[in-house]
Amino acid sequence: MRKHSVRWLLPFLLLFPVLSWGQDDRPPVTRAYFINNAYVVQEPGKVIDLGAVIIRNGLIEAVGKDLKAPLDAKTLEGDSLYVYAGFIEGLSHTGVPKPKQPERGSRPQVKDPGNPPNDVAGIQPERSVTEMLKADDKSVADMRKLGFTAAHVVPYGGMLPGQGAIVLLDGDNGKEMVLRTNTSLYSTFQGGRRVYPATTMAIMSKYRELYRQAEQVKGNMSKYSTNARGMNRPEYDEVLEAFFPVIDKKMPVFFEVDDIKEVHRAMGLAKELGFNLALAEVSRGQLVMEKLKSTGASVLLTMDLPKAKKEDGKGERGQGRRGKGKGEKAKPNSGKAEKKEGDKKMSPEKKKMMAKAAARRDASRKELEEQAAMFAKNGIPFGFSTLNVKPTEVRAHLGRMIKAGLTADQALAALTTAPAKMLGIDQMAGTVEEGKIANLVVTDKPYFEEGANVRYVIVDGKPHEYEVKKKKKKGPSDPSAVVKAAGEWAVTIKVPGQTTEGTLTITGEAGSYEGTFTSDDGESRSLSDVALDGNNLTFGSKFEAGPQTISLDFDLTIAGDDIEGSVKVGNFGSFEVEGSRTPE
Amino acid sequence: MKKYNILFLLLFIVAASLPAQTEKGSIHIKNATVITITDGIMENADVVVTDGKITGIGKSLSTPKGAKVVDATGKFVMPGIIDAHSHIALDAVNEGTNIVTAEVETGDVIDPLDVGIYRALAGGVTATHAMHGSANAIGGQCETIKLRYGTYDPDELKMEGAPRTIKFALGENPMRVHGEGNRLHARTRMGIEQVFRRAFSEARDYMAAQDDYAKTKASNPQAVEPMYDRRMEALADILRGDIIIHCHSYRADEILMLMNVCKDFGVKRLVYQHVNEGFKVAPELAEFGAMASVFADWWAYKFEVYYSTAYNAAILTRNGVVTSINSDSGDYIRHLYHQAGKTQRYGQLTDNEALRLITLNPAIQLGIEDRVGSLEKGKDGDIAIFNAHPLSVYAIPQMTIVDGIVRFDINEDNNDMRLSVDPENEDAMMLDYDHDHRCMEGTAEQLFKH
Repeated sequence: MRKHSVRWLLPFLLLFPVLSWGQDDRPPVTRAYFINNAYVVQEPGKVIDLGAVIIRNGLIEAVGKDLKAPLDAKTLEGDSLYVYAGFIEGLSHTGVPKPKQPERGSRPQVKDPGNPPNDVAGIQPERSVTEMLKADDKSVADMRKLGFTAAHVVPYGGMLPGQGAIVLLDGDNGKEMVLRTNTSLYSTFQGGRRVYPATTMAIMSKYRELYRQAEQVKGNMSKYSTNARGMNRPEYDEVLEAFFPVIDKKMPVFFEVDDIKEVHRAMGLAKELGFNLALAEVSRGQLVMEKLKSTGASVLLTMDLPKAKKEDGKGERGQGRRGKGKGEKAKPNSGKAEKKEGDKKMSPEKKKMMAKAAARRDASRKELEEQAAMFAKNGIPFGFSTLNVKPTEVRAHLGRMIKAGLTADQALAALTTAPAKMLGIDQMAGTVEEGKIANLVVTDKPYFEEGANVRYVIVDGKPHEYEVKKKKKKGPSDPSAVVKAAGEWAVTIKVPGQTTEGTLTITGEAGSYEGTFTSDDGESRSLSDVALDGNNLTFGSKFEAGPQTISLDFDLTIAGDDIEGSVKVGNFGSFEVEGSRTPE
Repeated sequence: MKKYNILFLLLFIVAASLPAQTEKGSIHIKNATVITITDGIMENADVVVTDGKITGIGKSLSTPKGAKVVDATGKFVMPGIIDAHSHIALDAVNEGTNIVTAEVETGDVIDPLDVGIYRALAGGVTATHAMHGSANAIGGQCETIKLRYGTYDPDELKMEGAPRTIKFALGENPMRVHGEGNRLHARTRMGIEQVFRRAFSEARDYMAAQDDYAKTKASNPQAVEPMYDRRMEALADILRGDIIIHCHSYRADEILMLMNVCKDFGVKRLVYQHVNEGFKVAPELAEFGAMASVFADWWAYKFEVYYSTAYNAAILTRNGVVTSINSDSGDYIRHLYHQAGKTQRYGQLTDNEALRLITLNPAIQLGIEDRVGSLEKGKDGDIAIFNAHPLSVYAIPQMTIVDGIVRFDINEDNNDMRLSVDPENEDAMMLDYDHDHRCMEGTAEQLFKH
């Protein structure tokens, strides 16, 4: 038993030295690159056909036609490829490891829930995200392979999680990623868990109080610094001092909102207190466009969307009663929902009502999908925030927004020029121009066209190459595909320098899946919490490493007979997993 | 095809040119039985509203320019019903983390998308008192809202200029949440009294420190202003008489206790909510000038609410206490005219006395009686139209008008009036529509954890 455990653990133990030494310490042969004969989209609407880009020492050295390859440059074949400026996340948690979620229903151990310590209350505006960045967090690679090269990142937390920074999505460590610090005071309407401020009304009140107190203390401090004699010394308060640059309008507040009510609330606070406001995760914003225009707040639309409607109309979560996240989610395509309805023998009247309700759900979905197009049509500049979207959903969601009326140029602007301007980095990013940071995305078809593959993402002058995967027989886009988790899967866990292969066996059916993972040396362990949600298969496992138990959390996506995703190994990071079904 | 396009374009231009605030309208209601509340009943009379204000009540009035004309022959017109105790249209009801939360305001969490607003309109209601819950001895400040259903802007529901109010609570609710639930004070009714006394005393000190600063700052430029504290600011405003207390209460002894506390601190504006044992202390309430907002006949849902009577409203009224009947529910709010009618079976109140319980009296309790609560020239155009006398069991609301704008019309009453639809989940709105909107909303965990 003991021996077995150790054997299974071996690959993971081996990876630590590999990681800590870095994957490759040798300097690159050259830091000059040449992309030729490409369709270079310098910025939305400005294109060079058969153009070239020269990159040197992290910067774009030249862009144009008929450029000569520098002698020392490595050529990246650009024939029939498309080159864009690297995308920018307007607000995200990319590169910030997600803190462990407290158990549901647990309450923080505080003496008085009405007066909790600041960290429990979620009031930590003095923190900087730069201290939390991890270059090897899986989110960095995940967003980068979609074409994102820079991000405005903020910490996780409650009503005031901390201050943001602008980072590049590459680097050996968190510090190397940083482009600019103290770029924003990040705020949310996320209340404390059963501690003050728990509700939005308490958050609103606390926000006003902190802001007014900060103004007061700031005034006292400046008075004290000019003439201290006879004056009581102002108390040092790091929370209040974090507001000072906001009061001076040197730092904007980035407010994460959920739906239009919170848009109004954030705008109300900004107007009342007088700070510069940027709104993030805006949805259904077309309903407040006039007010947004008049206040001049910066806008980041959410990239999150409700689940797409399947062509056969079965894409909804079915019978749930406000059951977001609660209880068992009905599987799409299971046909279960329909059977239930059939059993009830609906009256024609009720049928009609249900159909009307379904039509309203469709209209609501459409409203969310066409938000970006409506903003573009009304000439309100916007970027995207990616706080709540899964990387795997980004391209599909962009596709749905485009289907709903957003043009490719407008989408590109929202991913490049608009956020660059909003974040004040348009001198160094957002377009393919000489002198800017060499942040580029290279694709084999126009990015927003279906089936386009990202071939290179260049961050800070360093190219990352992506292989084009073979077309799958049964792609994930096939709406009639039935997601089948049960069966045997041959999988590979890609740990740098130490790849493990094994067999994943899933048995049982929805709601009662079980499974085992057998590594190629014959060691077998059982899996816990095996669950399938749509095509998303998740499960856990554990192994003992000396005195401690390390947990493995798998998060995989099934597409026909292919499976891919990641496994989180304790605190050591996430690693790619991929595999395919073993034919029965 | 071409024609359609032009029509469409026209529609678009009209929609775009409308002001963001769709607030005031003009309407001419013709030939109705008009129940004014303050000036008797007028048969075959008209009510005219111009730009949101009542400009005429009487016979053969002329129609203002652009006004909607409603033939109300055979129908009954009364002032819009006002609910002095409601939790509809709120995203949060209880900030139950502290026994004093005077600084929070329900005005910050108004939910204009709540379909409960439309349901209340369908019961003839035009204004509600959107209250903080009763989890804390001193809860949050409340917002008086008008039911302008259709807007997406929370601020547009606020009744501009309405006085500030605050929720207090006595007895079991704050004791259970904070004493038992959080294992802090107050565990007894005695403790609740001390919460009030301590809070008011602290506010007095805060005011004194501010006054002190105001006095010395001219002569001493090095004086430092006391640190801004929103809780103390709110409590001080209660002491200054700028905020009306609306206190959740049941037992007579506690009702007397709070009046004594208020006397000690010079607080005069006091309205009791529920006040089931109010009939025992009606003369004392009248003497203090405190008011009462009661249920018609709802009790026995917890220990401290067993000693009750359906004669409560009538006894209070006859003793000279300004009394109203409230709903505290997303369901009862649609039947307030029935609730008022019960006081005729239990207490023989006159028609006008009964209707005052849901119109002018709640308006007085909210400090908005100069604006709403009766049909008078110069008041807001908030009107309910019924097919029969509103105290008849056969009465059905036909049309509800807020600021001269029709917000409910039984003839255009769609099955699905939601302003916000979850695209992913079926909404079982018929099954759980009264689940929210209660006094103790959001406190279940504190209550049932132990």
